Amino acid sequence: MKRIFIDPAKCDGCKSCTLACMESHRQDGGHGLYTLDLTDPANQSRNRILSDGQGGYSPIFCRHCDDPDCVRTCMSGALVKNEATGLVDYDAEKCAACFMCVMACRYGVPAVSPDRKRMVKCDFCQHLEEGPACVRACPKKAIEVREV
Amino acid sequence: MNSCTDCLSRNTCQSADKPMENYIRQLPRETAHHRVAGQSTKCGFGLQGVCCRLCANGPCRVTPDAPRGICGASADTIVARNFLRAVAAGSGCYIHIVENTARQLKNTGLHKDKIRSEQALNRLAGIFGVTGSDKYDLCVKVADTVLSDLYRPEYEPMELVEKLAYAPRVKRWKELGILPGGAKGEVFNNIVKTSTNLSSDPVEMMVSCLRLGISTGLYGLQLTNLLNDVVLGDPVIRSAPVGMNVIDPDYINILITGHQHSLFTYIQDRLLDKDVVAKAQAAGAKGFKLVGCTCVGQDLQLRGEHYTEIFDGHAGNNYISEAVLSCGAIDAVLSEFNCTLPGIEPICDELKIKQICLDVVAKKANAEYIPFHYETRQADGDRIIDEIIAAYKERRGNVPMNLFTDHGNKNTLTGVSEGSLKSFLGGSWKPLIDLIAAGKIKGLAGVVGCSSVAYGHDTLTAALTKELIAKDILVLTAGCSSGGLENIGLMTPEAAELAGPNLKAVCKELGIPPVLNFGPCLAIGRLEIVATEIAEAMGVDLPQLPLVLSAAQWLEEQALADGAFALALGLPLHLGVPPFITGSKLVTKILTEDMVELTGGRVIIDPDGASAANTLEAIIEEKRKALNI
Amino acid sequence: MERFVIIGAGAAGISAARVLRDFRPNDVITVISTDETVHSRCMLHKFLGHERDAQGINFAGVKFFEKNDIIHIACQTVHKIDTAEKKVLFGEDYSAPYDKLLIATGAGFFIPPIPHFREAPNVFGFRDLSDALKIDEAFAKGKRVFIVGSGLVGLDAASALCQRGAEVTIAEMAPRVMPLQTDDYAAGVYQRAFEDHGCKFLLGIGASDAVVDGEGNITEVILSNGEHVPCDFIIMAAGVRPRIQLALDSGIAAERAITVDDHLRTSAPDVYAAGDCTGLSGVWPDAMDQGKAAARNMAGVDEVYPKPYPFKNTSNFFGVTMLSVGRLDLTEGADILVHKTPTEYKKAIVKDGKLTGYLSLGDISNLGLYLHLIRDSIDVSGKLDKIFRLTFADFYGINERNGEFAYRAK
Repeated sequence: MKRIFIDPAKCDGCKSCTLACMESHRQDGGHGLYTLDLTDPANQSRNRILSDGQGGYSPIFCRHCDDPDCVRTCMSGALVKNEATGLVDYDAEKCAACFMCVMACRYGVPAVSPDRKRMVKCDFCQHLEEGPACVRACPKKAIEVREV
Repeated sequence: MNSCTDCLSRNTCQSADKPMENYIRQLPRETAHHRVAGQSTKCGFGLQGVCCRLCANGPCRVTPDAPRGICGASADTIVARNFLRAVAAGSGCYIHIVENTARQLKNTGLHKDKIRSEQALNRLAGIFGVTGSDKYDLCVKVADTVLSDLYRPEYEPMELVEKLAYAPRVKRWKELGILPGGAKGEVFNNIVKTSTNLSSDPVEMMVSCLRLGISTGLYGLQLTNLLNDVVLGDPVIRSAPVGMNVIDPDYINILITGHQHSLFTYIQDRLLDKDVVAKAQAAGAKGFKLVGCTCVGQDLQLRGEHYTEIFDGHAGNNYISEAVLSCGAIDAVLSEFNCTLPGIEPICDELKIKQICLDVVAKKANAEYIPFHYETRQADGDRIIDEIIAAYKERRGNVPMNLFTDHGNKNTLTGVSEGSLKSFLGGSWKPLIDLIAAGKIKGLAGVVGCSSVAYGHDTLTAALTKELIAKDILVLTAGCSSGGLENIGLMTPEAAELAGPNLKAVCKELGIPPVLNFGPCLAIGRLEIVATEIAEAMGVDLPQLPLVLSAAQWLEEQALADGAFALALGLPLHLGVPPFITGSKLVTKILTEDMVELTGGRVIIDPDGASAANTLEAIIEEKRKALNI
Repeated sequence: MERFVIIGAGAAGISAARVLRDFRPNDVITVISTDETVHSRCMLHKFLGHERDAQGINFAGVKFFEKNDIIHIACQTVHKIDTAEKKVLFGEDYSAPYDKLLIATGAGFFIPPIPHFREAPNVFGFRDLSDALKIDEAFAKGKRVFIVGSGLVGLDAASALCQRGAEVTIAEMAPRVMPLQTDDYAAGVYQRAFEDHGCKFLLGIGASDAVVDGEGNITEVILSNGEHVPCDFIIMAAGVRPRIQLALDSGIAAERAITVDDHLRTSAPDVYAAGDCTGLSGVWPDAMDQGKAAARNMAGVDEVYPKPYPFKNTSNFFGVTMLSVGRLDLTEGADILVHKTPTEYKKAIVKDGKLTGYLSLGDISNLGLYLHLIRDSIDVSGKLDKIFRLTFADFYGINERNGEFAYRAK
């Protein structure tokens, strides 16, 4: 499977990945960073760049874990570890919005959508041929897709 | 070619000027065109104008999780503050230019120096309502009138506004309360407004942009031209060579960059003096030549009629200055204002090109600073000339030549101004108005402002211009857009072939190109005088004219101040990329929608030449319809 | 070739079936269930609220049994396990032989010994699809619902029915709603949310008797304070009991629940148990984990199932979300820290430098690490000043080998 590897030492905290993620998943039909609504909670990013408290950054990206807490805890079948791709896929149609996945992920990755009806998590930009938008946006190459 | 240049060469940006694109791509050194790729990841917060660095709590950036800065500023406040700050800085730049230009005129009068256009002087005296004991005294009076307005406090309205501006506009500006006070005070006041935890009112700040736009446009743009006309001579329509072919390696070549043409008057005359030419010849050159680049070259080209001997021609706009220097035949860069890219510094070092700077506001790191003082201009001038000759001797034969002799063309129509165009039309705007009314010319479009490279060098400017002329819209240009368009031949009479059938016929009949070259960005002011005079002749207000503006590849803060003037005049203004405002829905709405109610103007943002041309055409059609033509 | 039989198609049963199939691609796996279809009991309210049909609450996925080549014997209840012959008996005269057996019969709702309640035909549980179907039928005849218990099950039923226009009365013995997951403040927020949607709460009050009609249906509940509350039917949500009757009838050791060792083995050879029937935990993820662990042991992997940490839940009613982990009730010798804003409420219980309870009401995004901090007793003594703002950045580490995250002490 492929995984986004993180080198936190290279992260500048510029949040280009954050905006790329928001842009990649925007639902308003628009295109381009100029028109991305930065204050609309519906555009929340799936990755988070947090301060490490020592002047550096701790990029939090879904690991699509080998043994995912979120999948084990899902009671609707919405979260599935895809055997073929290794990715943790999410089916919003199936999701019951119980948010047990939010509770279960020990790394705090899953978030709740503003309408409280979906969970929000990295989908590895499977809708993009070129792969995850965040990786392409990183000017420091602090994140890269590698085969595990 | 070594591997390093090989890797650089693959990565240059596109240019509307394909021969230039190829020339730059094979250069053995880095230019702005190469650096575009490395800067292609843009900060989205910066693009949207929602990064705030006004205090030590920052930078604060707006996201769904953090919609306000630490201080509580909303996206609207942050964007408006950043925008006003940029407009104020841009205004400051143009006010600096007009201030120095007025001081030059005053010194010219005080020292009874050469006046090239008494007609221009009398015209200004007439507008201002001042008289003098002789022409020199009149220069002093005219200059003092301008300077005293610039130096007024911000709370005192400037006196010349009502004399310079079109009455219906002044009326509207009064209604909106945006008549500017002293121009320098306005810059000062608005910078204060945008500082930490001062104004948080986005609407007030956007209205302030209009006030700055008026002082910038009337003084920084219009008056700078008219004052320069006195000292430097009136523009005369003529055909001239453009592009890198103008560079003659047999001469000691000085590249001039900046916006304050009058600072060069002494030296450019001196370079033709026999003793100085003799010095050049002793060094092995035929003499001196000035090579134009950026707006000051554009301005010299505009007045080229008066400088046929010293001026070689205009090589190109700001973003080819690095390429021009790379040709090896330039011996010095004489700069006095902006659009002198820092990127030229390593090239000047490498090619031993002497850098001299005449104004500290544009001090280049590697340049020798020789401040321009009127009183010591002779001694300073000779020193500058000697240093340039020394550079010539040191470098020629020791640095590689990489000439580009077939770049550009030999027959670009230049010298178009409000005066020369009106004379060309027989002393009246009626012929042009008749052509517009008859639909032979659908409308006018000012394609103005800068050149930029991040999304292609002059690519949008060129694409838009071609689309507009194909729609029978006559294009008038001013700024680095002119430099790009002339190098690709759009200002040669042959370009008429690219125009729509009606405009083509007009061009062929009059022997003019479909794109008229007004020269430097300062001449946006001339273009606006043309618009005002046409409106006056038609008895309508400016927003009613079938006239649109586009600063398609606006680059810098000055362009934003220019743009604010266009909006104050009530003109539709197209921009290729948003001016870092889209993070605020309110500011975006004010500029793109609400402005119509305020002044009649509005901003249109469109990165695509074809669709922007369609939008602008539709606006022109709409205005024609309202005028019943 | 081995024969695996699983009794029950809930979280533990399905998770076991899935894992067994992974380990044993060619063996025979049979699931016998009382229910006709697989469904998630945590999503029953979606069915009852008419937001989804039965397929919509199937957590196993479409055609799970076909895709995994598992035999599903539906609508059959196993009544005896013949541990000597190693076969299970069901229906009138059916049996299925096994080499390894998993009991995953879950838990059933509990009706306290209140007069009439245990006999009345209009008293329902809310555990299985069959319960929901019965409630649906009753609701067609009368809209007045009396719910006993305001835990997650009771509130699930209440939210589903009040959205369909029911007149809901909820009686709760404790002085607040969701007594296990909340404190008074959080309970108040939920109570108001339900009241805003038309529900009525009777707190600190139980049902003590009932008035019945000729058919034995309860028409009025008599409260402990003597008051009468008329109703059309009753939903019992006052607790569950592990289903142990089958074990008892088959000679498999059980007390309150089926007795299992640390490998989830029962007292009978080759018979395992997982899920709510083991009484180890009552929450979905633990049932899933137990099913998985039992299956791995059945497949021959020697694996210890660690003691589960059952004190964890999330709730989402009317868009009010809450995460509640650990023991909010055990506060002796502990520090109670509270953070309250108009839109958020957070509470942390800290004892000896470790978090023992955490509650967050409002946006619960990204809070998963709190469960981990409590369950694994991770030291937070140096971080008390930001106890409500902890993120994985405070424990950030990366497993260089596979790129996964790992907790690091900082």
